[in-house]
Amino acid sequence: MRSQVYQWNSQTGTAATSARDAQAGTSISIFIGGFGNNITKPAETTATQFVVIEDVAVSPTAFLATGYGAGTDEYRGLIAGAITTGVAGNRAYIQVRINTTDYFLDPDNVGNDGIPGAASPYPRSTDFQPCFNLYPDVYVLPGQVFDALVTFYNTGATGTTVLNCGLWAFMKYTLYDGPDALIANKLLEMGISINPGNVDWYKRTLIQSQSAPAMPSA
Amino acid sequence: MRSQVYEWSNLAAGGAGLTSTSTLRRTVDAQPQVVPANREYDIFIGGIGNNITKPAETTATQFIVIEDIACSAYLGGAVQVRINTTDYFQNPDVTDQAGVPGLASPYPRGSSNELLATSALIAADNTQLLKSFDLYPDVYVLPGQVFQILYSLTTTNADYPAANNTAVVSAFVKYTLYDGPDALIANKLLELGVTINPNNVDWYKRTLIEQQQRSRVAAVASNGGSA
Repeated sequence: MRSQVYQWNSQTGTAATSARDAQAGTSISIFIGGFGNNITKPAETTATQFVVIEDVAVSPTAFLATGYGAGTDEYRGLIAGAITTGVAGNRAYIQVRINTTDYFLDPDNVGNDGIPGAASPYPRSTDFQPCFNLYPDVYVLPGQVFDALVTFYNTGATGTTVLNCGLWAFMKYTLYDGPDALIANKLLEMGISINPGNVDWYKRTLIQSQSAPAMPSA
Repeated sequence: MRSQVYEWSNLAAGGAGLTSTSTLRRTVDAQPQVVPANREYDIFIGGIGNNITKPAETTATQFIVIEDIACSAYLGGAVQVRINTTDYFQNPDVTDQAGVPGLASPYPRGSSNELLATSALIAADNTQLLKSFDLYPDVYVLPGQVFQILYSLTTTNADYPAANNTAVVSAFVKYTLYDGPDALIANKLLELGVTINPNNVDWYKRTLIEQQQRSRVAAVASNGGSA
């Protein structure tokens, strides 16, 4: 089992592959969305892999007031929008999708934009602290496709320079492969949380049961 | 069981031709809407900012545990939880109150408790509020109940922090949704007086599985060793 991270930046690559205002309001896959840094194929688990997503985060947002300068003013490193919306930063959200199912829903059971950057900021700082932790974790079972979709609503804040940094997203997950994936499946059947500690515990119980002395015959 | 969040802000009516004070889907470059003072607004269906299609309620096979609420710390903002018609937070004399102040549970965490009058002053403000409130024990929404998160402020956000400006205010709720068999287990834990959280739901599942295994072994033994 291996702890893994994936970081996405909307401005990585060429101008053609950097997210722009035209992408506002649409969800962008951080893996294969065509903007920023991408990977070669959709994120998926093989038959011998099990992924546990433990954290997702996206660029923070600050809520201010109209009259705060459009486009030029900076608030704690976040630039204001193209028009004076009273929001600094991208007003970004991150949703987790397993196969075709969105993980985060509104109370009316309609899929929403996901976790706000204001609740789970990336990067974190004393200015932008989290008030959300992904618990229980999200399980990606063997053979499933998973994705993280970023949506932003504040135009002009995506940034085009290193100074403005653009839009960031982050995912932290643990990859269980080979026998660890089998154990993860077993723990899932048993209703036990899948984490490295419990996988190790299950291994210990297996070893102990194998090394226990045989029962004397009657 | 799934961890869920809902973020509300008074942003709506972005773009040409959009004039409503509320919106079902977030819109690009939405504008802050005026929130009158000393009134409670349901962040789900209150008619201001982003809303959902119907009142927030649990079905017969759902159980919700509200774990955190927060709101903007300025303008005397506060959030109240209402289950059916009962307000959760009340004064010691059992009278109504606004709920948890944004100063005690600020959203976003690390934001300031006021907006200053000019861009330069706002940019220079280095107040970083921390939370002094933790929603513990959690609030349970049982199957079939309606719940509301009510936001109110003591001073309207119009003409704040300066004339002709409108402040953006927001609120946040974090909850865990238990559905299907997990909701049944949550009900059972409630009956048992055990705190409902993902760990305890998993613990109850394990005890059920162990009981089934024991009864299967006992049945085999009573049949003289044959299944």
